[in-house]
Amino acid sequence: MEKKVSENIVIELKGLTKRYGYGDTESFALKDFDLTIKRGEFIMIMGPSGCGKTTLLNIIGLLDRATRGEYILNGENVAGISLRRQARLRAKKIGFVFQNFNLIEDLPILENVALPLIYTGHSKTSRLKNASSALKRFHLQEREYYLPYQLSGGQQQRVAIARAIVSDPEIILADEPTGNLDSRSSHIVMEELKAIHEEGNTIIMVTHNPALTVYATRVINMLDGQIDTDVKTVADANLPQPISVKIKKKKASSPTIVQPDIKKSEKRKKNRRKK
Amino acid sequence: MVSLFQTHLKLARTAIKENRTRSFLTCLGIAIGVASIILILSLMGSISNLVKSEISEIGSDLIVVRPSSTKDSITSVIEELTASNSFQKSNLTITDVSAISAIENVSAVAPISVSVNTVASEKNTFSSVPILGTNQDFITVEPFALKYGSFFSKDNRENSVVLGYNLSLSLFNTINSTVGKTVTIMGEKFMIVGVLDEIEKSINFDNIDFDNALIMDIESLDQITGSTQIQQINVKATNTNSLTSVSENISETLTKQKLGDQNFTVLYGNAITHPASSLFSVVSGMLTLVAAISLIVGGIGVMNIMLVSVSERTHEIGIRKAVGASSRNILMQFLFEALILSVLGGFFGLILGYILAFLISIITPFAPYLSLEIILVTLLTTLLVGIIFGIYPALKAASKNPIDSLKHYR
Repeated sequence: MEKKVSENIVIELKGLTKRYGYGDTESFALKDFDLTIKRGEFIMIMGPSGCGKTTLLNIIGLLDRATRGEYILNGENVAGISLRRQARLRAKKIGFVFQNFNLIEDLPILENVALPLIYTGHSKTSRLKNASSALKRFHLQEREYYLPYQLSGGQQQRVAIARAIVSDPEIILADEPTGNLDSRSSHIVMEELKAIHEEGNTIIMVTHNPALTVYATRVINMLDGQIDTDVKTVADANLPQPISVKIKKKKASSPTIVQPDIKKSEKRKKNRRKK
Repeated sequence: MVSLFQTHLKLARTAIKENRTRSFLTCLGIAIGVASIILILSLMGSISNLVKSEISEIGSDLIVVRPSSTKDSITSVIEELTASNSFQKSNLTITDVSAISAIENVSAVAPISVSVNTVASEKNTFSSVPILGTNQDFITVEPFALKYGSFFSKDNRENSVVLGYNLSLSLFNTINSTVGKTVTIMGEKFMIVGVLDEIEKSINFDNIDFDNALIMDIESLDQITGSTQIQQINVKATNTNSLTSVSENISETLTKQKLGDQNFTVLYGNAITHPASSLFSVVSGMLTLVAAISLIVGGIGVMNIMLVSVSERTHEIGIRKAVGASSRNILMQFLFEALILSVLGGFFGLILGYILAFLISIITPFAPYLSLEIILVTLLTTLLVGIIFGIYPALKAASKNPIDSLKHYR
């Protein structure tokens, strides 16, 4: 399995179709859906209820299977792989953020964050170490042993984001991550997602809120299982890249290196201090 | 793999701790089943140990002749033991006894004939006293000692009796001055020449409670009761090596004596207690089977609780699957939980069973019998119960669809 770094394509969907029911009750959640996602994109998917957004996210997240069509993840066709391989890829390459946080109520948040690492075969110490540093990133290190219900909604969602990035996945899938939050918390959560994106992570987010599209590099409107409009606001060359990719590019003496935006990150820090 | 194993163990521990009461009650179900099995096995083990020690006590040079052909099947063993010896029709006679004593390498021969009769002293009268008819060789063959007096001999055997320790106590309210006194049996007076020492063993191969028995000469017994049946002839060989040849000689002699009728058994060594030990193994097998039913009930309890746990934690299963758990991971998680519950129950049951066995040993002569085999078999059984009753809930958990499970709230 060779990574196509040069092309920078993470996900390629070709003719993806998801059908529910047969005969008279037949309906399509996705119909001949084509989509190519590049590394570093922050995609927002919008559209009315029932247009297939969540189905698309579930299929990309390997939780669901398409009825037909191709799904190429990192150059590997994963449309017909076994459930076990699906689970393994899910653990390694995909991070989920849900609308209702989906944290395990009985586990302290540190162990919630460490959860994906259990299934990628990390030892206990490295699990807790990684989880701890992920929580630290979201300024929750003092609450490692809190249970989820002891945190506010915004904090819980930040724990969920920490869990999504802890195994360093290829893509982060967010299904209305701000849907259950008030505007202040949702602003914080979006800032966090933006920060993660600027480190070169690929994010696909489903939302109903048009105001959030300012964070995106690409906005896709869906209608009846197909793409209605697809707008890129940032050129492909300007997409943020992960450090590993940047190093490779440097070695290949490529002139285009995306400089980290120092001003922006400083601004963010100020914002945080205000909170 | 090892780390995943540890994780499953830890997860199961957390889950069990979280539902303390529920887990405890589930464990209790298993524990009771295991405890009853342990109790039965331990008691049966101690009984068969008692029987074995009895053999070593009577000595390895003993041969027993019984009036029935060799029976091996379980039903005939039960028949033999349930049919009271005193009513059994015997074809052994006094002449057989003298014929056996003429055989080479035989040092002593004692017939055993038990009947029940009323015995009276000047103070008390007791009915249903077991009266043992035998000869002067009895004290040589049997491992008993006399507390007072002596056993009757060839010369004074006609009107002499020996009392068991308890019988002496209850007839005369004393033991040390009973020698020389008389007792009346069916109008005949007999003089007491000796009192047996107290016997601690409750089981012996003659099936007689010697502490409460009266021992007299078999010919005198024949005279007062009219007829006696010899239930057993105990033969002592001069040495252990000649046991086989002596028992063959006895068989031949008796067959000749009875004109070819082979309706008798010559036993030595372990075979003497064989009917008793095989009955014990049958009874213990049956009881273990009954106890196994309670273990199955305990297992159903485990299954029930695991099903509740799986449906309660559907959301958690969905989350775990979404972050990368495979169906096998989920299966193992819940299977481990069931296994820990049942093995924990088995462990408590083991302790509980031995405590009960110990309590019983206080009031009975059965010392609790502990063997590594019993412990290993018990733990393996509980492991098996855990797998059998845990696999279905675990499969149910593993087969849950992650998307539907994520929508599932408590």
